[in-house]
Amino acid sequence: MGFEPLIGAFGEVFSPYNLGLMFLGVTAGLIAGSIPGFTIAMAVVLTLPFTFGLSAVEGLSTMIGVFVGGLSGGLMAGMLTGIPGTPSSVATVFDGFPLVRRGKPGLALGLGVWSSFFGGIISAVVLVMLAPQLARIGLEFGPWDFFALVVFALTITASLSGENLTKGIIAGLLGLLIATIGEDEVNGVARFDFGFEPIEQGFGFLPVLVGLFAFSQLLSDVQDREQARRPLMESSARAVRVEHLAAIKIVAKNVVNLFRSAFIGVFTGILPAAGGSISNILAYDQAKKASKNPEAFGKGSPEGIVAPEASNNATAGGALITMMALGIPGDVVTAVMLGALLIHNVQPSPTFISDNAQLAYGIFVAFFLAHFIMVFMQAFCLRAFLMIVRMPMYFLASVILLYTAIGVFALSNLTYDIWVLFIFGIVGYVLKSLGFPLAPIILGVVLGHIAELNLSRAVGTNDDLTLFITRPWSLFFLIVALFSAAFPWYQRNIGKMRWTLFYIPVASLALSVPLIMMGGVVRPGIGLLLIAYALYKLYRHHKAGWALPQKAGDKSAAETA
Amino acid sequence: MSLNRDVVVALLLLLLCGVFFWESGNIQLTDYGQLDSTVWPRIILGALLIASLVYLWQALRGAASEDAGAAPQAAAGAAGGGSAGTGPGGLAGWISRYRNALLCYALFLTFLLTLPILGMLLGGILFVFAALTALGRPSLKLVPLHAAIAVGTVGAMWAVFTFGLRVFLPEGVLFSFQ
Repeated sequence: MGFEPLIGAFGEVFSPYNLGLMFLGVTAGLIAGSIPGFTIAMAVVLTLPFTFGLSAVEGLSTMIGVFVGGLSGGLMAGMLTGIPGTPSSVATVFDGFPLVRRGKPGLALGLGVWSSFFGGIISAVVLVMLAPQLARIGLEFGPWDFFALVVFALTITASLSGENLTKGIIAGLLGLLIATIGEDEVNGVARFDFGFEPIEQGFGFLPVLVGLFAFSQLLSDVQDREQARRPLMESSARAVRVEHLAAIKIVAKNVVNLFRSAFIGVFTGILPAAGGSISNILAYDQAKKASKNPEAFGKGSPEGIVAPEASNNATAGGALITMMALGIPGDVVTAVMLGALLIHNVQPSPTFISDNAQLAYGIFVAFFLAHFIMVFMQAFCLRAFLMIVRMPMYFLASVILLYTAIGVFALSNLTYDIWVLFIFGIVGYVLKSLGFPLAPIILGVVLGHIAELNLSRAVGTNDDLTLFITRPWSLFFLIVALFSAAFPWYQRNIGKMRWTLFYIPVASLALSVPLIMMGGVVRPGIGLLLIAYALYKLYRHHKAGWALPQKAGDKSAAETA
Repeated sequence: MSLNRDVVVALLLLLLCGVFFWESGNIQLTDYGQLDSTVWPRIILGALLIASLVYLWQALRGAASEDAGAAPQAAAGAAGGGSAGTGPGGLAGWISRYRNALLCYALFLTFLLTLPILGMLLGGILFVFAALTALGRPSLKLVPLHAAIAVGTVGAMWAVFTFGLRVFLPEGVLFSFQ
């Protein structure tokens, strides 16, 4: 790729109109992220209807602005009131709120803002470097491998998104089933219309998504009658001056923590389904373990603010890597972005970066730029946030319910889409009330078409079904899917059942097989390392007499006794 | 063994699998294409059937342990359809718990049914006003505020989509001049 696409992307992203859109997007994200009950995914979902009238770069830039703003917005509510605005900023509250109560709100906010900024920038660099490389690997994939990748994405989403794996799997399968309703993309045949003509056209992905996610979420937010009538936050928090310089100095002193947390964020983002809500806790935990002063954590330690804020913003870069390199959305936010790309007739796939270089560079540039805008807008949004949180939830819910209707209508000018929104609003609310996670359903709806198309191509190319386990990448993804499905059982039984001693060694040995099958030097080398690691683990367990490891809690109880 | 909420949901899922399996028989078979249009949905339905059976088994095991430990709670859960032991039981308790959601769905349904007549602007204003009034405190003082919010926000959204994004939102027969 030459420099022309990069120059073109800069031109598009830095055009006054696009800059205005990005400022609006970041501001909306910051405010939405700071409101408890509003998730970042919901903010991005609600942005979508505005973007279809825009060019692909403009639409994606706006959404990236909302995404980055939302990830950073949660810290305002968390630090000033002790209630995290989004699940991505839960760990920020552990030390942010105590630091504010110690009379340093400006420093606490500054640390949050600058850690978010640097975390995001680190992940942006990784995104630019890694996405094209990963896309190159993606070019090796055949339809068998893509099908197995979808199976893996759905399995890991199901196992990570709820306490009950069975419910997660059922949710994913329901999503796949919803995707089969209407005209079959492969053969052009109507399916599951039950003799009802409008259903022959199927359900648009976006009305389904808005219904399942936004509509049902709004109704959950107003379910408690009294809570819905109270202001979003009853706190005496007031706007403060952010101490930028002091914060930058502290963040610079925590450079190792910053990089470690950012890499945790990127890696978590790359994994399907594992988003900022997981990475911020992981990074906080690692920072505490590595700290020379772990007893200060929970009492306003700057390290405890740097880690979660750097990681949750870095997660965005990781999620974009998977979407751009493989065309597979890792979470609801990237699923919506994928939907936005499809609206503009851009098909995300491993060839996306090379086929749509200007758009890909546009996404990279917009992701960088959004972090600068975020720092700039944070101070202004602080005042808007303090005004908005004095409103009761039912004000917002009533208005946004209608907005969802206008938004989905605008997608194709069809009242039918509002009916779809309404029906899936009910479905989402009922499933959520019954404890079914919604993320696997949404990914099922998005990935269903990709899975069927690749299955059809695979069978069409060669009717030998053993190719699903004899092709290295396909086998690799199926093995990871199998072990990720078993992971919740493993986690639940560590220290209780003897078979858990074999889980990691067996997984490592199993994964080494496809890696060795891939040929070359690096991948078989990694495979051999995995075998060595598995044998070492088994040897350690053998030396310990196959004794079950004690859990941390049990160990401390035993020591106390 | 008692019937808890999860058992009912698992049975409904099995019923759903059955209905879709039956309906998959109505999918037209083509003599072209590499994969019949029925294959992929049936693979999903097969997997869903297995997952639902596992869920049913887990739910029955849960019910058995509840029978041994907390049978009254399980019965309340089945009767209430909600979480056991919270709030008043029976239909009244269920309606009370889901009042706001039910109201919103009823209002949205009314809005959808009247959309061809009232159009997006008037229908939208009425919907937002009705939702605000139904969800907010029952007070006459709030009526002007709710009306102002409804007119202001819906008017703004309508203007942005109509003039800014050039979307032809439904006018409704009341306002249609064509």
